[in-house]
This record gives sequence, C-alpha cells and structure tokens, in this order.
Amino acid sequence: MTLMNFIYGFLVLIGAFVFQTTLTGINRKITARIQKRRGPKFYQQFIDIFKALSKSSITHGWVYDFGAIMALGGIAATVIFIPVAGFQAFPGLDNVFVISYVLAVGMLGMAMSAAGSGNPWASIGVSRALTNMLAYDIPLMVVVFTLIFINKSGSVADLALLQQGSGVFGWNFIKLPLGGIVAVVALFGMLGKKPFDSFIAPAEIASGPMVEYGGKQLGMMFILHELMTFIEVSLILNMFFGGGETLVIYLIKYALLYTFTNIVSQVMPRFKIDQAVLFFFRVPLGMALLQGILVIFLGWGY
Amino acid sequence: MITVIALLVASALISYLLTKKWPTAGAFFTILASLGALVGLYLLKDSTGTIETFGYLNFKMTTIGWYFAMVLGTVYFTSAFFNPDWMDQMLYPSAYNAFYVLSFAGTIGLFFAQDLITLFVCFETAVWSSTFIVLQGKSRRAAWIYFVVSSIGSMATLFAVILAGQTTGTFDIAAAFGLLASDPLVAGVVFFTFVIGGLTKIGIFPFHIWLPLAHGSAPHTFSPVLSGGLVKLGAYLVFLAAAYIPMNSIFSNWIFVLNKPLPVYILMALGAVSIVVGTLRAIQQDDAKKLLAYSSVANGGYILIGILMMDQMAFAGGLMHLLNHAVASAAAFLAIAVVAKRTGTTKMTELGGMIHRMPVTYIVYLIAIISMAGIPPMGGFVSKWMIFQGLSDKGFIFLAMASAFGSIGSYLYVFRPLSAVFLGQLSPRHEELKEANPLMLISMVILTLMSLGLGVFPNMVLTTIAKIQTSIGLTPIMTDGFKTMTANGSVNMFEVFVVFGYGFVLMLILFLVLPKSRRVGLMDTYTSAEFIYTPELLHYSSNFYAPFERLYAKWPSVLPWFTRASTKLKELGEWTESFFFSQSPTRGVMWLVVIAILAMVGGSL
Repeated sequence: MTLMNFIYGFLVLIGAFVFQTTLTGINRKITARIQKRRGPKFYQQFIDIFKALSKSSITHGWVYDFGAIMALGGIAATVIFIPVAGFQAFPGLDNVFVISYVLAVGMLGMAMSAAGSGNPWASIGVSRALTNMLAYDIPLMVVVFTLIFINKSGSVADLALLQQGSGVFGWNFIKLPLGGIVAVVALFGMLGKKPFDSFIAPAEIASGPMVEYGGKQLGMMFILHELMTFIEVSLILNMFFGGGETLVIYLIKYALLYTFTNIVSQVMPRFKIDQAVLFFFRVPLGMALLQGILVIFLGWGY
Repeated sequence: MITVIALLVASALISYLLTKKWPTAGAFFTILASLGALVGLYLLKDSTGTIETFGYLNFKMTTIGWYFAMVLGTVYFTSAFFNPDWMDQMLYPSAYNAFYVLSFAGTIGLFFAQDLITLFVCFETAVWSSTFIVLQGKSRRAAWIYFVVSSIGSMATLFAVILAGQTTGTFDIAAAFGLLASDPLVAGVVFFTFVIGGLTKIGIFPFHIWLPLAHGSAPHTFSPVLSGGLVKLGAYLVFLAAAYIPMNSIFSNWIFVLNKPLPVYILMALGAVSIVVGTLRAIQQDDAKKLLAYSSVANGGYILIGILMMDQMAFAGGLMHLLNHAVASAAAFLAIAVVAKRTGTTKMTELGGMIHRMPVTYIVYLIAIISMAGIPPMGGFVSKWMIFQGLSDKGFIFLAMASAFGSIGSYLYVFRPLSAVFLGQLSPRHEELKEANPLMLISMVILTLMSLGLGVFPNMVLTTIAKIQTSIGLTPIMTDGFKTMTANGSVNMFEVFVVFGYGFVLMLILFLVLPKSRRVGLMDTYTSAEFIYTPELLHYSSNFYAPFERLYAKWPSVLPWFTRASTKLKELGEWTESFFFSQSPTRGVMWLVVIAILAMVGGSL
C-alpha cells in the first residue's frame, strides 16, 4: 500500500464515472430512437449531475447526509477494488465476496439515508429494493459458488484471466451456458432494468427510494447510480465474458453488454416485486442449481 | 480454573445477600464478579493442559474451552452493565443477580469439563439458572417451553453420557469418544443423542421454537446473554461430538455426500434449514427482540455447518462466527433494551425516530447489524466469507445456497428495526426521551469496538483458532500479517478497511465543498399533495415486506405441531392417570389387591 495505489484508485474512480456516464448518455439516445424520439445530447447526463450538485438543497438531519456519504464512500471503494482489464489499483482485494459485500455497504448507506429522510415512500422503495436484491442475488450466488468450485479461486481478476486465450469458447458464458444466462438475467435485476424495475417505481408512487432527494444529495445519488452500474456490469463481464485482454477490448465489451441490457429492457413489461421474487426463485434459481449439480456431481463443463 | 469457578459460585451467593439489602449494590457486584472472572480466564491463556480436580468434578484446560469461555465471559461482562438499571423492574432482583452469576459459573465449568459427568452437571447448572431468569420475564409459557425443550436436550445428552460411559468404561471425554469407534452402532447412537443436546441449545430447526419465545420474553438485560452466550453451549457440545467421535469411520457404511457421511450431511442440512427458516420468520416479526431471536436461529445454522465441516476454512469460519455473532447479537439486544427501557415497548410499529433522541444507541445498533449481516469491515464478514469459501471449495452447493439466502435475507430483517425503530418520524409521545446512561453506553461501545476490531484485524482471533485446529488434528488456518489466507485466495481486511475509509473521505470532501444544505423538519417531506400532520401516520413500519411476506404467509409452522403433540401427550397422561388415581375407593382397593398378588407371586417367578 503506497501513495501510488491511492492515486491509481482515484484515477480508476474518475475513469469509471466518466465512461459510464457517457455510456448512459448514449443509451438515453438509443432509448429515444427505439421510441422514435430524437433524445437528449450524449453528454446530457453530465449536465444533469453537475446541475443537481450545484443547486441549493435541504437536509432532514445528520443521518440523511451521513447515509449518502457512507453510500457513495462504500461504492467508491468497491469501484477501486474492481479489476479493469487485469489492472487493479490495490492488488489482492478483488475477491468476489469482498466486492459484492462492500457493495452492500453502499446499498445500506443509501437505504439508511432514504429512511432517515422521514418519508414513508422512501422506506417503501427501500423495502422493495431489498426484496428485489434477495431475488436476484441468490441465483447469482449459486452460479458464483459453482465458478469458484471449478476454478478454485475467488479472485475476480483470476476468474477473468482463466477465460482468456481461447477466444469466445473460453468464456464461462459458453462453458456454463445455464449459469451464464442466469448471470445476465441477474444483471437486469441488479441494474434495475425492466422487467425488474418496480423498486424504482417510475410509474406508480412518487419515486421510490429517491423521492426525498434534491440538490447535491440527488447529484450524489446520480453519481452513486453510475458507479454502481459500473461495478455490476464489470462483475458480470469479468466473471462470464472473459474480462478484457486490453483496456480497449474491455471497454468495448462493457459498452456492448450494457447497451444490450438497455435495449432489451425497452421492450419488456414490468414485474411486481413478488412476481419478480417468484420468477427468480423458480426459473433462474432452478437453472443455477441444475448447472451446479451438472458441474459438481457429474463433472460437466470443465 | 477451579479458582475462577469457585469464586463465581461464591459471588453468586454474595450478590444474592447483597441484593437483599441494597439492590443496586448487588447489581454492581455482578459487573465486578464477571469482570473478575473474565480477567481470571484471560490469565489462564498459557496454562493449556492443566488438570484440576474438585471432589467428583474434573476440569482440564483446553484452548477450545478457553476460547468459548472468553466469548461467554465477554457477553456476561458487557451485559452486566445493564443490571443496575433494571433492578426496580425485576420480580426477584436478588434471585436474578445470583442466577446471573451462577449461570456464568456453570458455562465456564462446562467448557473446562474433562469428563462427561462434570460436563453434564455444569450444563444443567447453566440451564436451570437461566430458566429461573427467563421465568422473571413477560411470559411464563415462554419459560415453560424453554425448559421443556432444554429438558429434551438434557435427557438426550444424559443418555449419551451414560451409554458412552457404560460402553467404554471411562467418562473422560476424549478417551470415551475415541474408544467408541470400535462399536459403530453404539457410537452412532451416542453421536446423535449427544448432538441433539447441542441442537436444542443452539436452536436448530425443529428445536428452534424456544428461542423467539424465551429471547422475546426474557428480561431485557438477559436476552443478550441468552442469544449471544448461552446458545453457544450447544455449539460446544456439537464441537465435542464432531471433534472426538471419529465420524467418518463410524459412519463408513453409509452413503457419502461430497466426502461427508450421510448422517452428518443431514445434520448440516438441518443447519441450512435453520438458516432459511430463521431468516424467513425474522422478516415477519413485529417485535424487535423476537426478530433478533430468529436471527440467532439463522446464525446458529452457520455455526453448526461450520463446525461440522471439520476442515481448514469453514471450521475456522464457524468458530469465528460464534464470537462475531455473540458480540454483534449482544450489542443489538442491548441497543433494543435501551429503547425498551426508555419507551416501554419493543414493538416496531409503536416506535420510530429514536435516532433523534439516542444517536449513540443508533450507531451501536448500526454497527451490530452490519456485522450480523456480514458486511465489511465488521467481524461478521470475515467469518461468513470463510464459511462461503469453505463450502464453495468443497462443492456443497445447497448449503452454500442456504448460506447466501441467510446472508442476503439478513439485510432485509436487520434493516427493518433500523428503519422502523431508529429512523423515520419521531412520535410526539417520545419527544422527551433521553439517551442511555453512561454505564450502558460503556458496555455498548466496548461491543461496538470489538465488532469493528474483529473485522479489521481478524487474525488476532484466527491465530487462537489455528491452535484449536492443530489440537484436534486439522490443518490450521493460515494467516500472514494482516492477510487471511485460504485455498481460494486471501483477503487483507486492514487494506479493505483503509480503502473503504479512503472512499469515505473522498466523498466527505465532495460533500463539504458543495453548497451547504438548509435544515428542514422531518414532517416537511414530499407527500404528493396529501396533507398529513400526524407523525405516526407518516411513518412506515408495519407490514414492511408485505409483497414478500405474502409469498410464504401460509406456510406451516412447527409450533402448532408441537402444541398438538403436547396436548396429545397430556391426554395420554390423563388417561393413564385415570387408572391409578380416582375418587372411587374401589379403584384404590383394586390396585392394592393387584400389588399384593404381584408381591406374593413375584418371589416365585
């Protein structure tokens, strides 16, 4: 741990933010084209964030602010842990459980801040978001356990590296097709893309967990969302699509994967929360367990 | 060891007499007694292998016993700080204090017992004294159920003790259990009956019914001890059976699932079921203490799986989880005890906004639940991480799935009290509440710092666990400086903590350079043009996970099954009784005649 590690970490953080925010902007345009609109400029997302950050704001007490800082701090740390094209700012901290649980610090902070605002709708949004998380995480975890069993390593960078060298056929998505599909479906859940976006509640009640945010806190939540998207897409990319040999390949694959989820979500209806739970526990969990049994008890796939 | 135990027994008597005269002094004496015992235990850390005898009781110092005793000592010591403030609410304060110390003495004796008889005597001491404390709580039925379930466990253990002693001719734990290998059938019976004693105490499905009842209705100061401490007695019994009875050779004729004999795998599956059931039921609870009790059921499942794995990683994880859960669960129960003391209720629907009156208690609860949910940088993460690594390395996919379910599900249930009790709107009824008094704060802050310390420097504990693993012939867990090593990679928790702090500082700077926010009241929120002036109506605390709870609301519970079984048992008893006891004199004369005939004929038979 030297000063250079911290500087690299900061650069990864800035890079991830700029890249993902640009991508979000481009995807807003793609969405618009699907819906036969012109859509905003590709850098509109940056304008939105910086505008929110500069506006006057209100606070509902210290936990409202502290939760937001804790959330963003936890997410920032997680971004620093993510291996990008084999590069890690802090080598050796890329264990998949470490990443997925430090991510939880961020989520808990956000939930705390939202509930601390005193708005009941924020709490309802949080309760839905947590239920949604329970739904998508279990199938994904089962697949991750299978991956660790095969590769005997819990390091995300190692998992990515082990897939490289034999082209597409080395990818875990191809080697473990059932698990790969589960992971992509879980990615939809993680990103809150349709059909699993009811916790954001874009249509029914005011606005889910974010209802009470404005000004700089809202801007911070926007940043949080972009960074979280970066973490989630990167995790799936590294574990199932071979990561990237070079930074360029990594970013191209990343952009394709993210855009894919966005395009598919545009033509999807929406699950209610309990329907989403039932769906995840019936179909993807079944597939994940089947994949696990095939691998562990029958030795298929490796 | 005997000195510590004897001093505790004497302290029990002293605190009884002292409390009779001055209740508060007696309560302070329990703090002193438990502190003395804790220090005494710590000083024993290098005397492994010493054997001491007192009458028929034999004690032997072992690393595992010392580790368990230290865990329990921490919980007893920190919870004792709450005793002075609860003396006026106890039905029998003197009995409470005496049994508090006596149950501590019993648990320490259990951990250092060298032979099975000593073990059983100390086990019963701990169980009986805690039963009398639970009786002083809200519900007699809860204490009754606690006692019945404990009795089932005790009877099973006693059976195992006698069978093992009779078969092998010795009561020495290691020797007797080791000799059992020659007779696989008896060894299997001993293993199961002995383990059942442990399962009832940990609260493993289907014996978990007593936990929510007893934890929920025990005096607020004793719930932390029950959940953080006494359930760990069961873990120790399971450890003894798993470590000293050679499981793989006595069950060698059974099917092996992933190198575990089927009976052992079934026990581990019971642990997995406990995780799932505990999690689902905890999500449904409205009473914060019952919620935490169900979370103890779930965490007991982790500990059971970890101990039965008997390997390098998951076993170490299980033992460490025992400490992490003890610390976190005690802190959470104590935080809820403060709320209960100030408001008089533990129902989440009646509370809200406590953070504005008791911020320190809030932080204590927050850190405790972060640790319980297994989120870094708290202790709970390290132990769950090790269990996950161990399970996925060996391919126990169903157990791993249950562990993942318990882990993610715990976010749901631990967040509920956080949101419903501490966050949200503050009711005008609670406007005048005060923060916990300094005495309570001291103990809660100690536990909070421990949770954090265990997460950042887990190797402090893991070196002790490595010694335990060496002592029973397992490959010890590897540590290297701040690094914890496993076969599937290592983690440096100190670095994780530093990077997390780095992220937090960066965002704090960002927050501070941006324009300052204007403070508004809690009721000043967006309500889509509804006008609400009652804080209680603007607080979301009931039916928190309604969409999810709906999915399993109609699932059967085991409690009605046990209730029906007990009704039938009672009827059977009454039916049998009706043969012997009756108002009618003829019945009595008949039995007299029968007994007389039997006595006469009996000699010639």
